[in-house]
Amino acid sequence: MSVRKQRPDADHLSGASLSDLLNLDDEENYSDELDDEETPSAGAKRKLANFLSVSGNDLCADCGSPDPKWVSANLGVFVCIKCSGVHRSLGVHISKILSVNLDEWTEEDVDNVIQLGGNTAINLKYEDSIPNNFRKPLPDASIDERTDFIKRKYVMQQFSNPDEHLSCPFTPAAINCSSTGVNPVVEKKYLNSMRLHNFGQAFLNTRKRKDAEKKSNSMAGMVEFVGMIKVNVVSGTNLVIRDVRSSDPYVMISLGTQSMKTRVIRSSLNPVWNEKLMLSIPHDVPPLKVNVFDKDKFSTDDFMGEAEIDIRPLVSVAKALENNGNANGPSKQLENMDEGKDKNTHVNNGTITVTDGKAKQDIALKLQNVESGELQIEIECVALTQ
Amino acid sequence: MGIVFTRLFSSLFGNKEARILVLGLDNAGKTTILYRLQMGEVVSTIPTIGFNVETVQYNNIKFQVWDLGGQTSIRPYWRCYFPNTQAIIYVVDSSDTERLVIAKEEFHAILEEEELKGAVVLIFANKQDLPGALDDAAVTESLELHKIKNRQWSIFKTSAIKGEGLFEGLDWLSNTLKSGGA
Repeated sequence: MSVRKQRPDADHLSGASLSDLLNLDDEENYSDELDDEETPSAGAKRKLANFLSVSGNDLCADCGSPDPKWVSANLGVFVCIKCSGVHRSLGVHISKILSVNLDEWTEEDVDNVIQLGGNTAINLKYEDSIPNNFRKPLPDASIDERTDFIKRKYVMQQFSNPDEHLSCPFTPAAINCSSTGVNPVVEKKYLNSMRLHNFGQAFLNTRKRKDAEKKSNSMAGMVEFVGMIKVNVVSGTNLVIRDVRSSDPYVMISLGTQSMKTRVIRSSLNPVWNEKLMLSIPHDVPPLKVNVFDKDKFSTDDFMGEAEIDIRPLVSVAKALENNGNANGPSKQLENMDEGKDKNTHVNNGTITVTDGKAKQDIALKLQNVESGELQIEIECVALTQ
Repeated sequence: MGIVFTRLFSSLFGNKEARILVLGLDNAGKTTILYRLQMGEVVSTIPTIGFNVETVQYNNIKFQVWDLGGQTSIRPYWRCYFPNTQAIIYVVDSSDTERLVIAKEEFHAILEEEELKGAVVLIFANKQDLPGALDDAAVTESLELHKIKNRQWSIFKTSAIKGEGLFEGLDWLSNTLKSGGA
């Protein structure tokens, strides 16, 4: 038996430690380190973040979802992740999507976006003649509804005022294509023919695609993740016997719809796997499910116990670290902060540590719905916020 | 539990398994390719912040296909997945000509990785359905594929939404893996 004993003072530490960690930037020693060196990319990002907070840019230009984190760098609009998916499907000749936080930005790219004027200005242009009774997609709109609207808005430009066209949205680099020095009449004519052409093209495309595409209703490609988790399945102790004298155990871990398995260790009740498995963390951060099975070649594998781990505390620590961009800060420790709150009271959620900017947790798990068995598991979390 | 049973049966029939990473810049079409291969359908996608992983059974090989997010700040995590990888599918948006240079740099950085030394490489010149898409010859040149040394590789023109070229690529991959390419 090697279940880690909870430290007697853990209860007192828990709340305070977590809030300390979540407010790292309040602590002087942390903020000092942060300000030391700022990369050019960080400066550009800050500029972009400032522009993002300008009124109008705080709502998705297409569906009105709050807090959009994706940008069409050539159209100049901030959109939510779902609308960004539709923009991406149109091709970069229509819209070039970048992430505010997950992509690198140069000063020049940011200036280009700012010059385009932001959501309010761009929507004035692309939604100028939107009919009064027309319903724009709402934040909960279906993908089909979004796709229909976004194509009409930017590809066919059904709601644009033709007299106000002073830039050419169809060139890949619309930002480099201002009307200065170009005869506006000629350009307008060019644009009108472009629009006709594109309308025809879009019509053709939909017809062609109906034949070729097997459009799916599956939500498989639509799962919003918030990061990744690395689970090191270290070892098991005192596992149950499922064959004659021993078992052939392996561990399956799952998070949301993703599952991973370790290899099978033959004839062992105290197996050592030391195997690292990766999983994506879905938006709603479900519990990490752990199942142990005995591998049987000619029948169904036998159940050897299960457990659930609430990874939300670890994810929130990882998020706090990400926000601080503090990769080399001193190590911090948090003690069993949700001990007892877990519905599975036998789970001994161990210490959360922060080392080299990574949130880690070592856990000794008592397996449930089985006579005996513990698992040693280490989990490490990387937050990737849009 | 379904997965457990499937695996049990396939292990009985002695199927070969292969671990495949699908890599490429953001918006190259990696997720669309993954689900087109797995379900035979075109799914709607959003940017992958993390990864998707699915099993694709083809030509008696069970491919465990990992589709890793392509945003700049996610790319450094690709290397967490490199160990024990038999093949890389590198996906390029052939119509995004402005970023082919970055696509090339990322590609050659991957080939430098020690852990991927034995991996075969399949390149998908994707989005052939879009206007201005470069063909396989032009993508070969842009990615400087002639510089690849001591490795089996091949390039295919693909359109994930039309389903063109993908299985031809998997045919090449399964034949190469079966003949001991990795």
